[in-house]
Amino acid sequence: MEEKGRIGIPRALMFYRYLPLWRTFFERLGWRVMISDGARQKEKIIYFEDSCLPMKLLVTHAVQLKDKVDHLFIPRLVSIHRTYIMCPKFRGAPDIVRIATEGNLSVIDEMVDLRERGTSLFQSFLKIGEKLGASTQESKRAFREAEKSFSKFQKDWVDRVNQLPAAKLFETDVPLPPVRRKAPFRVAFIGHPYNLFDIDINKDLLALAKSLGMEIITADLLSEKEINREVSDLSKEIYWSSGREIVGSLFHFLSGGVDGVIFLTSFKCGIDALLQEFIKRRLKVRGGSSVPFLILSFDEHTGREGLTTRLEAFRDVVEQGKTDNT
Amino acid sequence: MKVTFPHLGSMHIFCKAIAETAGIPYILPPETSRKTLTLGVLHSNECICLPFKMILGNFIEALQMGADTIVMVGSGPPCRLGLYDLVQKVILEDMGLHYRWLTIPPRLSWKALWKNHEETKELRKELSAKNVLFFPYGLWMGWKKMMACEALEKLAMKVRPMELKKGETQKRLKKALSWVDEAKTPKALEEAIREGKPLLQKMEQDHSRIPFRVAIVGELYTVMDPHINRGVEQKLGELGVEVTRTSWFSNHILRSLRKNKADRASERVRFFEASKAYLGYDVGAECNISIGEAILRSEEGYDGIVHLMPFACMPETTASGILTKVGRDRDIPILTIILDEQEIEGRIQTLLEAFVEMLEWKKRAA
Repeated sequence: MEEKGRIGIPRALMFYRYLPLWRTFFERLGWRVMISDGARQKEKIIYFEDSCLPMKLLVTHAVQLKDKVDHLFIPRLVSIHRTYIMCPKFRGAPDIVRIATEGNLSVIDEMVDLRERGTSLFQSFLKIGEKLGASTQESKRAFREAEKSFSKFQKDWVDRVNQLPAAKLFETDVPLPPVRRKAPFRVAFIGHPYNLFDIDINKDLLALAKSLGMEIITADLLSEKEINREVSDLSKEIYWSSGREIVGSLFHFLSGGVDGVIFLTSFKCGIDALLQEFIKRRLKVRGGSSVPFLILSFDEHTGREGLTTRLEAFRDVVEQGKTDNT
Repeated sequence: MKVTFPHLGSMHIFCKAIAETAGIPYILPPETSRKTLTLGVLHSNECICLPFKMILGNFIEALQMGADTIVMVGSGPPCRLGLYDLVQKVILEDMGLHYRWLTIPPRLSWKALWKNHEETKELRKELSAKNVLFFPYGLWMGWKKMMACEALEKLAMKVRPMELKKGETQKRLKKALSWVDEAKTPKALEEAIREGKPLLQKMEQDHSRIPFRVAIVGELYTVMDPHINRGVEQKLGELGVEVTRTSWFSNHILRSLRKNKADRASERVRFFEASKAYLGYDVGAECNISIGEAILRSEEGYDGIVHLMPFACMPETTASGILTKVGRDRDIPILTIILDEQEIEGRIQTLLEAFVEMLEWKKRAA
């Protein structure tokens, strides 16, 4: 098929969950998808607004792409769940990028709000297709294929996380290497997907963890029901879908099933700051947990030494806990 | 039962009036101080917004003084304000403080009323017939006092840039507000207003001055509470600026009662519409309003905008990014002040002085 043009997807925020879906959709419609490289160096981060690190990275990646593409894809993710919403910053993200890129670059900022009755992700993508000049038939076919490749991707997800380096996680054409021997410790890594998988944020924490003999468990393993069970009796409902997932999965794993739990947050993340306090206090009020628990907060600092020390110490605690129990 | 409520601007005056008139025992938390803030900071996370810490500090101090029932206005998505109670409750519990929590529904709905009904089940047993009977009267008194406070504060904003003796307006405003506070009957309240207004109006003033006009926009706690914003309103006034703001209790209450058709509340609708030039969706809280107000004020010929927000505030962070662009596009100076627990009163004074000086240059150049 003839190439219609280029669509840029910044390697930031929900890229770290939905890339295979987005990419397949655009490619099937005949567009070439360009993905930004990443900041890698602190000096390259653009401080357009005084926001959290993931937001700053979105701006950085978008600016990196702006002269290379015809359209920039930054969906306005209001809600990707039937009931719960995304962080309010996502609502203004396309506008911030539009101002930061300072040009007449076209930003595809179709809204995704699944709370309203009769809305679906498919409809949002139909509109995107329409904007790109595709017929309903074409969009429909592209979306169906995108969904297919996304669900295939999700099926292998847990293995990918454990067997591939973080930089290659979202490259669907990279095949899964054969299973290595089983890691001695099962450790749950909880946080927003971009905190977990963006190596510009977490300094490739997962690689470090793997080298220390940790098998990486993520909240993706839990069903919504299991998460709801942990947060259903709260005095007030947590209305951010990501916040719910974090609190629910933390409580789930802290009550057992894994050898350790690590919570990754970004400095200035509003949701994490508030819920982190909630988690710590509630845990204390309820008499603590026997599972070792570590909270790591990331910012622009690039040094890995502190991180290494903390993770090694955590591994020792986990190891100690394991020998005590057997 | 001893009821308590957080501080926010002059809110204590009319919350007190409601409790007092209805004969409900209450404990007023000590005026927000460095100690209050220290307590709040100590028991929360660094990146939680400043209002959370202030309110938590108020509650801790009030509970330590013997209060046992917290009354707090509820809120909802998308910003963190809607989950303050969830987290504050568990913090207080962890600190070993005992309390009961009563949420005032932010919007009247059956669900909210039911929750309120559940929460007040126990409390109602402790209320006497007199309390219940006088409660509507208390609400009425509270409303009257709120309107009186707002009228006095608005008047003070008007006369402050004209004052001959620096600080005189603030002194007189405090006195007038204390009269309102002390009034026990509607008659006494009327008298307090009748005497309070001239106290400000008849102050020695230099009427030849033409003050700059600056609008304060931003997150509502930081705009409305002088403890949180370290008296930005007063400081600007004393630098010869006539300050305007649209965050007032009456506006916010009327809005939550869905009386949007009233003139004052519809201003908000205008601001929201104006913000659409830059922002494609309602980000939540005051974000869109801050942007829209800045745009419309620039069209109305205001000289500048001061944008206040707590550190790490989610909606206002987005607003501040966009406001930079608004300022450039509309040629209106916008000063964003980010507030946290740091002792920055001196710095704010310097910032505001520089800002006003800049307004002067701009005027001279024009």
